[in-house]
Amino acid sequence: MNQQAAMDLRQARRSLWRERLAEDWRVFRRNPLGRIGLTLLIMFGLMAVCSYIPPMINPMYNPMTGVDPHIMASTGPSARHWLGTDFMGRDIFAQLLAGARVAFMVGVSAAFMAVVLGTALGMTAGYMGGLTDTLLMRAADMIMVMPTLLVVLMLAALFGQLNIWTIVLMIALFRWPGVSRVVRAQTLSLKQRPFIDAARVAGASHPRIIFRHIMPNVLPLAFLYMTFRVTSAIVIEAALAFLGFGDPGTVSWGMMLQWVWKTGHMFQAMYWLLPPGLCISLITLSFYMLGRAMDEVLDPRLRDETSAG
Amino acid sequence: MSSAQETILELRQVTKRYQTRGNILGRGKKEVLALNRISLQVRAGEIFGLVGESGSGKTTAGRLIVGLEKPDEGGIFLNGQDIVGLQGKALRRYRRQVQMVFQDPYQSFNPQVSIMDSVGEPLLTQGVAKGVEREQMVLAALKEAGLSPAESYAFRFPHQLSGGQRQRVAIARAMILEPSLLVADEPTSMLDASYSAQIFDLLLGVRGRLGATVLFITHSLASARYLCDRVAVIYRGNLMEIGPAQEVIRNPRHPYTQALLDATPKFGRCEDIPRFNTLLRAERPAADSGVGCGFFRRCGLAQRARCSMEAPEFRAMGEGHLCACHYAEPGPAQADQGGECHLGA
Ligand SMILES: Nc1ncnc2c1ncn2[C@@H]1O[C@H](COP(=O)(O)OP(=O)(O)OP(=O)(O)O)[C@@H](O)[C@H]1O
Ligand SMILES: [Mg+2]
Repeated sequence: MNQQAAMDLRQARRSLWRERLAEDWRVFRRNPLGRIGLTLLIMFGLMAVCSYIPPMINPMYNPMTGVDPHIMASTGPSARHWLGTDFMGRDIFAQLLAGARVAFMVGVSAAFMAVVLGTALGMTAGYMGGLTDTLLMRAADMIMVMPTLLVVLMLAALFGQLNIWTIVLMIALFRWPGVSRVVRAQTLSLKQRPFIDAARVAGASHPRIIFRHIMPNVLPLAFLYMTFRVTSAIVIEAALAFLGFGDPGTVSWGMMLQWVWKTGHMFQAMYWLLPPGLCISLITLSFYMLGRAMDEVLDPRLRDETSAG
Repeated sequence: MSSAQETILELRQVTKRYQTRGNILGRGKKEVLALNRISLQVRAGEIFGLVGESGSGKTTAGRLIVGLEKPDEGGIFLNGQDIVGLQGKALRRYRRQVQMVFQDPYQSFNPQVSIMDSVGEPLLTQGVAKGVEREQMVLAALKEAGLSPAESYAFRFPHQLSGGQRQRVAIARAMILEPSLLVADEPTSMLDASYSAQIFDLLLGVRGRLGATVLFITHSLASARYLCDRVAVIYRGNLMEIGPAQEVIRNPRHPYTQALLDATPKFGRCEDIPRFNTLLRAERPAADSGVGCGFFRRCGLAQRARCSMEAPEFRAMGEGHLCACHYAEPGPAQADQGGECHLGA
């Protein structure tokens, strides 16, 4: 009625969500996999953020165009170049930091797009049923059985060098079916639950039922899938780049590996080969561990809600 | 009350069939007749009981009435208007007048939606109120439903409430638009007895305060007698007996109602209530498809020649008391001993 009461209500609403998040966080934190994964990810995040610093210190630390004027070939670690330089005197450490930025960019944006697409199509198929469902799921099947890397390689061979965003988009377009299958299954079972009938009796329209009642129940699952999709997106981009089909304008870890290989330093310059290789493995591993931990946060909650509520 | 005689809801020859799914080859596919040509009228302002055992089609009737499903045949009328097949806006408008409390309070709330938003949903969808005004109305509704302090319940998720509390919330949600008809589908079947009485009183309050009509669905004669003005007894989709609650329950004329009363635990001075023993221990083989009395297979009084061949018509057993049985007779009114004999759950 008065201002004060309204404020109190807003506060109560906020604390409700805070409590729920706090509870999830507690479960998450108990999980060692989750802790390791998160720590690693924070490290990579810091690397990505710090990638802006070296070029500001000295233009020769620019990962793509900066060349140390005194160095003509690959050199090992030194005070001037912590991880050494590549074949034309570019700083490997600066490249590694830039690679983290690209990995996040590619991984997260491709996964995000795949998950948004997969969730939207999965919910539509599950909720509408009938012909829509059949068509969407057949399309999903067809895309799912195509080996993503191979198809993207073929496209790259056809159209020449691909822009990094084109690569992201293609990964997203090839990676939604898995998400949509899971979301569809979840939607099918949610649709049968009595609270959907209750919402209909409360006057909810179809869009409202989908977005207000079904979506909050599939989103946690979709987010879980997102972490796994990040992993696969990063791996696909790295593979493309390594095989020489990456965006020549970006410094990704896969690109670095390609440079190592192409210039014949594969087993001569461990300081050059190992860092990007390790980074690719660790970042995919950490997203995977994050996903597993989230799975455990989610699981008891899903279990609670389906049995006792 | 003169308005008590007006019909608010009428079911006319309503039939609903369900197709049960067989295996992949379509074998084992069967048709279930959930409601078989049910006709009844509910009067404005009364609490009308729909009584029957599990699987008799009570929930189905409720779902048809709130428009969650369509009957295969027959018409459903609210204030004389046919509501079968309403869609979109018209259906939404209809739901301002007719609301439902579902059988299972654990399943009828979205686990991801707070109590505040669940109860306030009809206000939003019907464009009645939003923002702070909506929240105030929700709090008021929760208080009316006996949840106070309402603020402490509003900002919780369903899993943080007990079953009884949830059923109160369900009643608050159903009543927030002040509908003229409330369908309450066994609101206490998932709760323990001590909580049932409170929910019943809440329903009585709903009728008293807002003048709403209540269609109370139950499997228990005892709660029907406690709450209802009139009751209808159904068995496997067939209407068996209908009449004033006291009359039907104290003086049942249909063998099925009699069997239900036999099965109800009684305490107090009940020597005067006879046992009817109208239920067969084992079911008889079915009557030839569809014709005949719906209760034939389990009826102790049935005669094959007649009951398996001819569907009984409703006949008057007393003031407003109808019974569909070939062998029912208007019995002598029971001596007034009801005050001392109590029925258990
Ligand atoms: N969606 C459905 N599909 C197939 N059969 C159904 C469906 N819903 C109900 N039935 C069948 O219709 C009949 C009546 O069911 P209904 O749920 O109305 O019974 P009820 O009286 O509410 O029982 P209870 O007291 O157990 O809730 C049952 O035989 C049931 O199996
Ligand atoms: Mg039921």
